[in-house]
Amino acid sequence: MQTADKYIDLIYDYKGQWDSPSRCGLKVYQRSDGHFVIVVTELYTGNPGTSVTQWCAPLATTLIGEYGIEPEQLIFIERTPDTGSKLVFLRETFDRVSFTWDGIKYTSPEWQRLSREEVDKLLSE
Amino acid sequence: MKFKLIYPGWEKLEGQTIFNLPPHGPVVMAAALPDDVEVEFIDENVEQLSTDDYPDFVGISMMLTTQIKRGWAIADEYRKKGIKVIFGGISTMLHAEETMGHADSVFLGEVEGRLDKVFDDFRQNKLQKIYNFINNPPDMSLIGPARRDILKRDYYYHKGFQMVDLFHASRGCIYNCYPCAVRYLGGRGFRPRPMDKVVEELAGIDNNRLFVVDNSLALDTEWEKELFRAMIPLKKKWCSHTIEDKPEVLDLAAQAGAWYVYQAVFDTSDYIKNRIKQYHDFGIGVEGTILLGLDNQTEDDILRLIDFLLEIDLDLAEFTIMAPFPHTKAWDDMKKQGRILHQDWNLYNAGNVVFKPMHMSPERLQELYHYAWDTFYKDEPQTKKMFNLISRVVTKEMEDGTFKPRRRDLIDVSFGKKIDKQPE
Repeated sequence: MQTADKYIDLIYDYKGQWDSPSRCGLKVYQRSDGHFVIVVTELYTGNPGTSVTQWCAPLATTLIGEYGIEPEQLIFIERTPDTGSKLVFLRETFDRVSFTWDGIKYTSPEWQRLSREEVDKLLSE
Repeated sequence: MKFKLIYPGWEKLEGQTIFNLPPHGPVVMAAALPDDVEVEFIDENVEQLSTDDYPDFVGISMMLTTQIKRGWAIADEYRKKGIKVIFGGISTMLHAEETMGHADSVFLGEVEGRLDKVFDDFRQNKLQKIYNFINNPPDMSLIGPARRDILKRDYYYHKGFQMVDLFHASRGCIYNCYPCAVRYLGGRGFRPRPMDKVVEELAGIDNNRLFVVDNSLALDTEWEKELFRAMIPLKKKWCSHTIEDKPEVLDLAAQAGAWYVYQAVFDTSDYIKNRIKQYHDFGIGVEGTILLGLDNQTEDDILRLIDFLLEIDLDLAEFTIMAPFPHTKAWDDMKKQGRILHQDWNLYNAGNVVFKPMHMSPERLQELYHYAWDTFYKDEPQTKKMFNLISRVVTKEMEDGTFKPRRRDLIDVSFGKKIDKQPE
């Protein structure tokens, strides 16, 4: 499984549902406008625990705390990497995730599919 | 202490032959109970459950998503009376958060070596809300033999024929398939049981016909061959999920009593056609399992697939509609794309469309599902094809002296219920 590429700076360990040890690829990028783009990559068989999709809201909450990001500064992107499969549902995808901030944590994730070009654009701004 | 272990009933799929197999999870769980626990087992699929009693402690074991709403209702009844209820099993793990709303405790993970603590906590009134052993599997040597003595055996007969018993030789899976939750449920590794324990349990099962329910037997060739060699002297006849198609493996599998295997048919390739032929060449039957509604299937693909099935000499076919179960990639994808139609878990039975398919309407996919069943079994009904498979195993049993005739006292009984005598 490919893990090191332009959308991953490091492998990040987190506690998923029921405190399951979980792991994702992580890229944190600060744009010139002050926003932070965080790309979390699902590692599939490299992730022993909860998927980034299932855990996106707690994961995003944890990450802004660790990186000192204000809730409104976050642009959160979920990525599933290309697995080399011929099946369409195992190809690379990007989704921008919007959350509601309740004052303590993110809730109510909603996903919007992005192209790779749109992600590149978000990272280059 | 009296522990009432309940396996909730579920509604069977319309139009399909009903077979109630003795459940596996509860008997495996029961083997891990402390010695001083007296267990009463109720399988609601074959017997009436009464909640008028007052057991010391109630356990609800759930395998399918279609069991959970019934399981919650049963728990609510007992908890109203002040009786504590613990949940466990595969679908408890898939739906743990919701289940916690109906439980005094939920057990996540595998039970071996862990239940003494749970029952001690119960006795001391310190039952924990959650016992979480996900990603923390037990030592495989602690498993079983399963407590099949808790089953009411006569309920698992149809017209005098005993249903297969379920058995497992390994847990976990090395793959992470799109619609499958085994990675979450059983971990990413392949974990075989010690072979002497496998043989000990197999030898003790009072049934010559088994369903080996391992996720896949095709995860480690050497282990697979060792398993089949160990099974040969036992003369059991069995069906299973996929096995490898290497000639030396198939030869051993046939000697070990392979009756028929499940084979996923996902395209119309020569690979599938040849694989089925290989099984047949070794005298092993094939039940095709066909998953409908994947994102790479158009209507034409499904129609072509159904035509293909009629050409490739399958012994049986089972059609299911893709269901995005929680903790699968399918669930994640559908959730992200807003394609999940509802979360009425009773309808997550692989016979109903619960999501928006990529290339057709939900209604059209539902029609194609019924069309697939009807078309495949048009010329020869499912019961006749099953009879053919049973005839084959009877022939093998006659040859090796393991044949047991039908039970005459249960000839007009189906899963514990009296039936009208009908011509066969």
